[in-house]
Amino acid sequence: MANSNLAGMQPGTKQSKMARKLFLIKKYMPFYFMFIPALIIYVLFHYLPLWGIRIAFYEYGIFGIKYFKGLENFYELFSSESFWRAFINTLFISGGNLVLGMFCSVVLSLLLNEVKNGPFKKMTQTIVYLPHFLSWVVVASIFTMILSPQTGVVNSIIKSMGGEPIYFLAKEEWWTPIFLTIYRWKETGWGTIIFLAALSAADPELYEAAWIDGASRLKQVWYITLPTIRTTILVVFIMNLSSIFNMFESVFVMQNPLVYKVSDVIQTYTYRTGLVQADFDYATAVGLFNSVLSFTLVIIANKLSKIIQGESIL
Amino acid sequence: MYDKFSFAKGYRARAIFVICNTIFLILLCILMLVPILKVLSDSFDAAGNYELRFFPKVATLDAYRLILSTESLFRPFMISIFTTVVGTILALTISSMAAYVLTQKEMPGRNFFTYAILITMIFHGGMIPTYLVIRSLGLLNTLWAVILPMTCNTYNLILLKNFFSTIPQGIVESAEIDGCTPLMIYTKMVLPLSKAGLAAIGLFYAVAYWNTFFNFIIYINNPDLHNFQVRLRELILTDDFLQRGTFTIYPQTVQNACIIVSIIPVMILYPFLQKHFVKGVNLGAIKG
Repeated sequence: MANSNLAGMQPGTKQSKMARKLFLIKKYMPFYFMFIPALIIYVLFHYLPLWGIRIAFYEYGIFGIKYFKGLENFYELFSSESFWRAFINTLFISGGNLVLGMFCSVVLSLLLNEVKNGPFKKMTQTIVYLPHFLSWVVVASIFTMILSPQTGVVNSIIKSMGGEPIYFLAKEEWWTPIFLTIYRWKETGWGTIIFLAALSAADPELYEAAWIDGASRLKQVWYITLPTIRTTILVVFIMNLSSIFNMFESVFVMQNPLVYKVSDVIQTYTYRTGLVQADFDYATAVGLFNSVLSFTLVIIANKLSKIIQGESIL
Repeated sequence: MYDKFSFAKGYRARAIFVICNTIFLILLCILMLVPILKVLSDSFDAAGNYELRFFPKVATLDAYRLILSTESLFRPFMISIFTTVVGTILALTISSMAAYVLTQKEMPGRNFFTYAILITMIFHGGMIPTYLVIRSLGLLNTLWAVILPMTCNTYNLILLKNFFSTIPQGIVESAEIDGCTPLMIYTKMVLPLSKAGLAAIGLFYAVAYWNTFFNFIIYINNPDLHNFQVRLRELILTDDFLQRGTFTIYPQTVQNACIIVSIIPVMILYPFLQKHFVKGVNLGAIKG
């Protein structure tokens, strides 16, 4: 950017740097205005709430902050039985979902990768990606209808075989497996996209060479395909790990009071204590604990990947 | 030819695998579609017969007529359309402007803005602090509480930014020399050149707005302002709804029809979505 105002100045001096900066700011003035709407949105809905986290350490009344009470909310939290129940459930449901999800998506992408018929592959992909775009409410509604004890198709099959109808979504022993299955129905296909992309980067010559050397297909998958997508698997794992405590809408729309014992997760617990019972400061403390935990998890996972892989992901 | 499909010795195992794999994938596709097709078929059922069948014994369109003629079902649908249209337009405008600004390499403060945005992907205020902010802004019980926070999705913004930076700098510079102001360059050149990217991100936003559920639950108490997703859940849970009026129809049929109604817009958008999302996901994965 040549500029006549600056032509006479020595380049590199402090003064010329300042002048250049001012010149650039002036030049880009319209852009700053273009950024204002987004800035307002970010400040209002992302940064102000961050500042609001401090109420976790205060007593919060109807008229706002009353007084500082330090870690009291956290003592209450750690001694609360329902919090620990939600915590264990989150680990169990969300962790199970993460492992199951990774496994299913990797296997499905390996199988899809073996399909050499273009149109068939495309059709399969189109169909398995579809449920991802349905909202959790819709998915929960679909399966509530199908699993309904009175008129659902599953129970009508059970009845026609002489069994007793089961109210799947209201039975503690059924809820978690059903939930995880539905979750897989919705997200497995979508999860394959990223692995398929990584798989397409594998060098075809490697396979040919392995074939000539007499390596079986399974060996090829184990020694060529999986190492190619190992980094991707780790990245996806860490990214999913960071949101392991954020499982919310899926659980919220599928749970009911009958199965709180097995289905209550941290986020639904936050919602009930915070917004239903209006205990704002306590629920904020739960949320803060939640964020700190997921942040630590990511850091640990990143360290682990450094040890295993020799390079960090983030 | 190591991929040859043949039952000759040496190729047999492979051929058997291909057949099994194809059968498995076909079964998987059926498994994916069956729940949706079952709901679709049951939404036409007039006989209240929801067993294992994929065509209703007696078909009727009454459930859909009921939705169109019942205000408590039709209004949420219109609210959904309103938030989706207004939200998508606002979100596209705000995020595309911001994304374009972030492509200006020389602009002082650009890095600061970029990091300020990226940080929000890691640190969230959480449910309650966000609720309190929205309450103190006086947005509770207005549709703005749902529309505004979603107008800047950081992920979409980064995708748009990547899209804009593929525009060759030469074009922009020559326009600059010809005396175009930055705003003119943006509206007359950058936007028309980025139609495909804008369409993709617009679709992402539209689906997100259409599927919004939880924001309505927390920010809006007034049932008159609830969207179709919220209404659908209410309907499925309680089946409380309606004076069924002149229609004699089983409640399950109406519930199924409501599910289908809330799926239809996504189905209409899906072919367009599909064209773009694979690229989007991968682009995001590389950057993220």
